[in-house]
Amino acid sequence: MLDMQNVSKVFRTELVETHALRDFSLKVDEGEFVTITGPSGCGKTTFLNIAGLLENYSSGAYRLDAKDVSDLSDFQRARLRNEKIGFIFQSFNLMPDLNLFDNVDVPLRYRGMKSAERRKRIDAALDAVGLLSRKKHLPAQLSGGQQQRVAIARALVGEPRFLLADEPTGNLDSNTAMGVMELLQEINGQGTTIIMVTHDPELAQASERNIHILDGRISDPETPVTQLQTKAAIPA
Amino acid sequence: MLFYYLRLSALSYRRNPVLSTLMVLAVGIGISAYMIVYTLNYTMGGDPIPHKSDQLFHVQLDSGNPNTDTDAPDQLTYLDAMALLRADRGYRETASSKFSSIVEPQNPELRPFTFIGRGVYADFFSMFDVPFQYGRGWDESADADLQQVVVLSRVLNERLFGGANSVGENVSIAGDSWRVIGVLQEWNPVPKFYDVNNGPFDNGEELYIPWPHLVARELPRSGNTNCWKSIGGTGIEAFLNSECVWLQYWVELPDRDSQIEYLQFLDNYVAEQKTFGRFERPMNNALYDVNEWLVKEEVVPDETRILSMLAIMLLAVCLLNTIGLLLAKFLGKSAELGVRQALGAHKGSLFVQHVIEAGFIGLLGGLLGLLLASYGLEGVKLLLGNQLMITDWIQLNVPVVITTMVLAVVATIIAGLYPIWRACTINPALHLKAQ
Repeated sequence: MLDMQNVSKVFRTELVETHALRDFSLKVDEGEFVTITGPSGCGKTTFLNIAGLLENYSSGAYRLDAKDVSDLSDFQRARLRNEKIGFIFQSFNLMPDLNLFDNVDVPLRYRGMKSAERRKRIDAALDAVGLLSRKKHLPAQLSGGQQQRVAIARALVGEPRFLLADEPTGNLDSNTAMGVMELLQEINGQGTTIIMVTHDPELAQASERNIHILDGRISDPETPVTQLQTKAAIPA
Repeated sequence: MLFYYLRLSALSYRRNPVLSTLMVLAVGIGISAYMIVYTLNYTMGGDPIPHKSDQLFHVQLDSGNPNTDTDAPDQLTYLDAMALLRADRGYRETASSKFSSIVEPQNPELRPFTFIGRGVYADFFSMFDVPFQYGRGWDESADADLQQVVVLSRVLNERLFGGANSVGENVSIAGDSWRVIGVLQEWNPVPKFYDVNNGPFDNGEELYIPWPHLVARELPRSGNTNCWKSIGGTGIEAFLNSECVWLQYWVELPDRDSQIEYLQFLDNYVAEQKTFGRFERPMNNALYDVNEWLVKEEVVPDETRILSMLAIMLLAVCLLNTIGLLLAKFLGKSAELGVRQALGAHKGSLFVQHVIEAGFIGLLGGLLGLLLASYGLEGVKLLLGNQLMITDWIQLNVPVVITTMVLAVVATIIAGLYPIWRACTINPALHLKAQ
């Protein structure tokens, strides 16, 4: 599904060269639920952006769904994102002037889907997150947890093969966070591959596999999920 | 997607109402200033008879004072005009001049009133494609036989006959009865090219009669008369035989050969007249088509060209401001653009979305510009009212409205290209985390 081999990412300015990822290699199989943990600035989000085709890498190889993405045009990358990847962000990133229906509609618009089919899918996605009755509401009229559910509906409405979530519970209280996590597990249970960046060891424990990143490298590719709490307890 | 993008544009306006309104104001003010001047130029300098302006020629013969270096006179003497008419070398031709007289309405409730009329030859109506509401013009026999026939303007027909078909009715002019044979539709070519010497922006005349009546009945002339030589006597005969110029003369020449031939004829005529002691200046005859004549007579004053430059500069300043405001607005949407890219938008679709948003702002600016321009033109009427007798033509018309809207939208989109390019080339990854 996702196959990165020796991927490096270097950010260069006139004065500084920052290595965000160094020889990063990772394989994620279809249907897996993988969490990515690590201290701030270790390269988690850079990995997610490269995985989501939002950022180019400096060297290495990346195959998504067996397709080499290195030479894809902006148009092809956008199409791949639209059809195969769903994004969930820490701060939800809903568009404030669009109601819930229109927010969820955005990825389908770029797919050029017919109106009736879009409506059907949006209603189903909002129903799946329990917010169909509020589809005419604006995001500001919802709680943080509800907003994140809308973001999940938006990510799922296009029926993507895998979901990239960047600290999706970071702005939520623990109860709401658990609710969102349960929803993600349910989605994973239906076959969607999920890669989730998190700071929360408890959430990481709930996944099948955890990848711990340190200074742009995978620190221990075989970290069993059960050891996460011990690792997190050790100050960096 | 067009309607989707238009809806997003409206939502974007609502999100930043102050910034958006400032842009609409900037575009509206710039466009209105330009459109006011454009309207003046368009109307004053427009081709009043575009389908045949290159076939209609004003005849100029240099019968001027040999002791001065003034330009050749714009009008003809009676002697020359009659000689050209008799020669009958053009496809169609007419001499014409204004006169004034008194009409006595049949309706006893209406009092007699003065009107401005024009004496013309039969070809006048067909040469200038004068549109008729009722009836028609007269034929050459009416000129030759001094038939008492008259063509009324729409306005005068309205005044005398309540707008009814008055063909066959009689009108009393200067004590004589004249038969109405035609009523014009509204006809006010702007500029009034066939007589720019007597007010290029005046309304058309109220009534037309065969020109020979002006001499036969010694009707009071109206309009410019210039004499460089003393008339040498009194009475109408002395005036008619003088070097005074007072007649406009137009000839229709459908092709290049006929134009060359006619000019040769003019030269031959003047050469002949020189043998009689007339035309003491060097040979300087000319034929000007309608547009050449309007330029030569400087119908569009130089001031309007200066105003045009100022208006273009103001529009440019307003658009520069719009660039800055669009830049602020579009870069303020970086996070949204990042999200849209994450959800599947490619840079091309974002570009189109923002072109439509800029066009939307331009459209609103154009509408505001039209409103401001219509008020501005009212101000121009007040300013120019004393210089131009009739200012009814100073108004927004369909071509001007279309031009305004197209200019507003296109100019705003062009102004928006740089901000749009900047907005579409942001790195989405930088903004997704930061939002």
